[in-house]
Amino acid sequence: MRRVVLYEGFERFWHWAQALLIITMMLTGFEVRGLGLHLFGFQRAVALHNILAVTLLVLIVFAIFWHVTTGEWRQYIPTRKFLREMIAFYVTGIFKGAPHPVRKHRMAKLNPLQRLAYFGFKVLIIPVQVTSGALYYYYPNLQHTLGWPPASLWVIAVVHVLGAFGLVAFLIGHVYLTTTGHTPLTNIKAMLTGWEELEDDAYFDET
Amino acid sequence: MPHPPRRPSPPLLRRALQTLLGLLALPLALAQEPAAPPPTAGHGSYTIVHVAKSRRQTADHSKFKILKGPFKDSDGPAVTRACLTCHMKAAEQVMATSHWTWNIAKDGKDGFGKSTLLVNNYCISIIGGNTESCARCHAGYGFKDKGFDFTKQENVDCLVCHDTTGDYEKEKAGWPNPGVTLAEVAQKVGPPSNRNCGVCHFFGGGGDATKHGDLDDTILKAPRAEDVHMSKQGAGMDCIDCHASDAHKVGGPNYVVPADRREQAKFAGESVSRMSCAACHSDSPHKSYILNRHYQKVACQTCHIPAYARGTLPTNTFWDWASAGRLKNGRGYKEEDANGYEKYNSIHGEMIWARNVRPSYVWYNGTLKFTRLTDRINVPADGRVILNPAEGSYTDPNAKIWPFKFHEATQPFDPILKRFVAPYTAGSKGSGAYWGDWDWNVAIRKGMDTAGLPYSGQFSFVKTSMLWPVTHMVAPKEQALACVECHKRNGLLAQVPGFYLLGRDHGAGVDLLGFGVILLTILGVGIHGFIRTTQGRH
Repeated sequence: MRRVVLYEGFERFWHWAQALLIITMMLTGFEVRGLGLHLFGFQRAVALHNILAVTLLVLIVFAIFWHVTTGEWRQYIPTRKFLREMIAFYVTGIFKGAPHPVRKHRMAKLNPLQRLAYFGFKVLIIPVQVTSGALYYYYPNLQHTLGWPPASLWVIAVVHVLGAFGLVAFLIGHVYLTTTGHTPLTNIKAMLTGWEELEDDAYFDET
Repeated sequence: MPHPPRRPSPPLLRRALQTLLGLLALPLALAQEPAAPPPTAGHGSYTIVHVAKSRRQTADHSKFKILKGPFKDSDGPAVTRACLTCHMKAAEQVMATSHWTWNIAKDGKDGFGKSTLLVNNYCISIIGGNTESCARCHAGYGFKDKGFDFTKQENVDCLVCHDTTGDYEKEKAGWPNPGVTLAEVAQKVGPPSNRNCGVCHFFGGGGDATKHGDLDDTILKAPRAEDVHMSKQGAGMDCIDCHASDAHKVGGPNYVVPADRREQAKFAGESVSRMSCAACHSDSPHKSYILNRHYQKVACQTCHIPAYARGTLPTNTFWDWASAGRLKNGRGYKEEDANGYEKYNSIHGEMIWARNVRPSYVWYNGTLKFTRLTDRINVPADGRVILNPAEGSYTDPNAKIWPFKFHEATQPFDPILKRFVAPYTAGSKGSGAYWGDWDWNVAIRKGMDTAGLPYSGQFSFVKTSMLWPVTHMVAPKEQALACVECHKRNGLLAQVPGFYLLGRDHGAGVDLLGFGVILLTILGVGIHGFIRTTQGRH
C-alpha cells in the first residue's frame, strides 16, 4: 500500500463547489416549485437559483478546460471491461466480502460503473438541466420572437423538474456508494484531502 | 418644466435637474408670490409644481367685467354665455365629448353611455325616468329627459369642471344650487383640480366610494400609503396630469374605446394622455430583469395596487335589488351593520360594503364588452350574467392580467323578452316610481314606456356582475405584491387561465413520478445498506 494524491486540487475544488451549487439549486428549485420548502422566500430563492446557475456554468467551463488540458477526460470513457463483474460485485459480492473487481489507479480511478454513471451525469443530466433551465429563463423571449406556444413552457418546466428529481436520486445513490470503501468514510476523506491509499501491484506505475 | 425623465437618469444628471428645479423655484420664493402651501415630506415636488402651474395662467378672471354678473340664482346658462364671449369655441368642443353626450357610438356600435341603452350594476339605467336625478353629474344645464337640447351651447356647464372655490354645487337636471353665488365662482375659474373631477367621479353609484373602489374623496387628502401619485406627500399629481385633454376631450377610456395607452406621441406636439404607467415610468422601471419582463403579461396595477378602497371609506361590493321594498308601517327604512355601513335600505335592498379589498384578476386587453337594454341575454347555467366581460387571453398580445373590482348584484330582468329593464326608481308617491309606490311591475312598465322600449309585463331577478378596472390608489412600492402571492398553489392567480405559472402549476403526476424515483432510490440504497451491515462485511 502506498499513499498517492488521487484527486488534484482543482478536481477537489470542482467537485465540492459543484456539490454545493447543485444542492443549493435543488433546495431553491424545490422551494420555487412550491413543494413546501420555505428556506429563502420565493423572490430570493429565484434570484439565488439563477445566480447559482450562472456560477455553475462558469465552473463547468473551467472544468471542461481542466479535463481537456490534463487529459483527465479519458477517465470517463465508458468501457464494458469488468462491467459485468462490477454489477455482480454490487449485487452479491459486496455482501460476501469478495474483493473489489477493479483496482483504482492514478490513471484509472473510476470503475466501469462509475464511468458510466458520471459520463451520463455529464453528457445527459447536466446538459438537459442547463438547456431546459436556459429555455425556462428565456421563455418570454422565445415566445415573443419565435412564437412558442404557452404549452411549451409547461413542457420545459416538466423536463427541468424531472431532471431535478433525477439529480436528487443520483445524489442519494452517489453518497451511499461512497460508504462502500475500505471504511465508510475512506472515499469521502480521499475526495476531501486528495490522498488515497492504493495497492502496490497496480498495473501502471506512477513514477 | 422639464418632463420627468423616461429612464432612471444617472445621479449626476438627476442632481443637475434638481439644482435646476431649485433655481427655477428660487425667484418665486424670494418674491413671496401666492402663499405656497407648506413644504411637504416625501416626493416634495407638489409645491413647486403647483406654484408653477398657477404662474402659467395668463388671465386673471376676477378682472373681467362680464364675470362680475350679477347672475340670477341657478342661471348657469348666463355664466356660460359670458364665458363664450371669449372662449367662443369651448362649448362646441365640450359638446363633442362624452362628458356632454353621455352616449358613445363607434364602429357601428351604438347605444353605449349613460344617456342611452347601457345597463349598469348599481342604479341600472337613467332612461326609465331617472335622468333628472342622475343629471346632477351631467356637464350641462337642464338635462331632465330625452327632450334635452344637446345642441344648445349655453347649456354647457363650464363651472363644474373649472370652479376652483369648491363652493359650486349642482342640483337636479344639473342646475346650479340656488345658494351658489355664481359670479364669485365665475371670477375664480381655473384648470380642473382633483376636486372638480371628484365631485362626480368619486360619487359614482350614488355615493362617495360606492362605484369604483379606487376612487373616492379620501384621495383629496390621501396619505402616501393610499395613493403615491395623488397624495401631497407623494407626487402630488392632479387627475389631469395623466388624463390630459385635447380640445376639452379628456383622455380616458369609454364604453367602446379603450384608454389611449400609448407611451409616446407619434409626432411632436401631439397631445397624448398619459394613461399608461410606462409613459412616465418606462416599460422597464425595476432593477430586476425578471420583474421588468412581467410587463409583457402583467399590468403594473396588478402588483402595485394590492387592494382597493384603501382610504377610510368602504366601497359597495353587493347590491341586491331583489330584496328592495321591505317596508315598516308602510314606509321604507334603513339598517346599518356593526361598522355603520348601510346593510339594508328599502330603496335598493341589501348591500355589502368593504374596505381594503383584494381585487380579482382577469386577462384584459382594454376592451370591456358592455350590455345594453336591447341586447338579448342568455342567462348562463350559474344564473350570473356578467354585464361587461373583459376581453383578452394569454395569447392576445395586447392583453395583460389586470386587477378588477367585481361588483355583484341582482337586478330586474324580463324573462320573456330576455332583456334587462330600466325601472323608474327616483320619484315620489303616486308617480309610479319604485321608491314612491314600491311596485316593481308598475315601475318597470313606466320606465320602459319612458325609454320607448318593449316590456312583456313579467319580470324576474337575475344575478349580475360588473367589472371595474382598478387603476387608481397605486400603493408605495413597499406595499406591492410579493412574488409568492401569485407564484404558489391557490395564490391570487389561481383562476387565471391559459398559461403555465411557476409555483402554481405542477402538471399532474410529475411530482408523484419524481418522488417515486427518489423513494425507490432510498429504498434500494436502504436494503443494500441493511444487508451489507447485517452481513458484517465491507
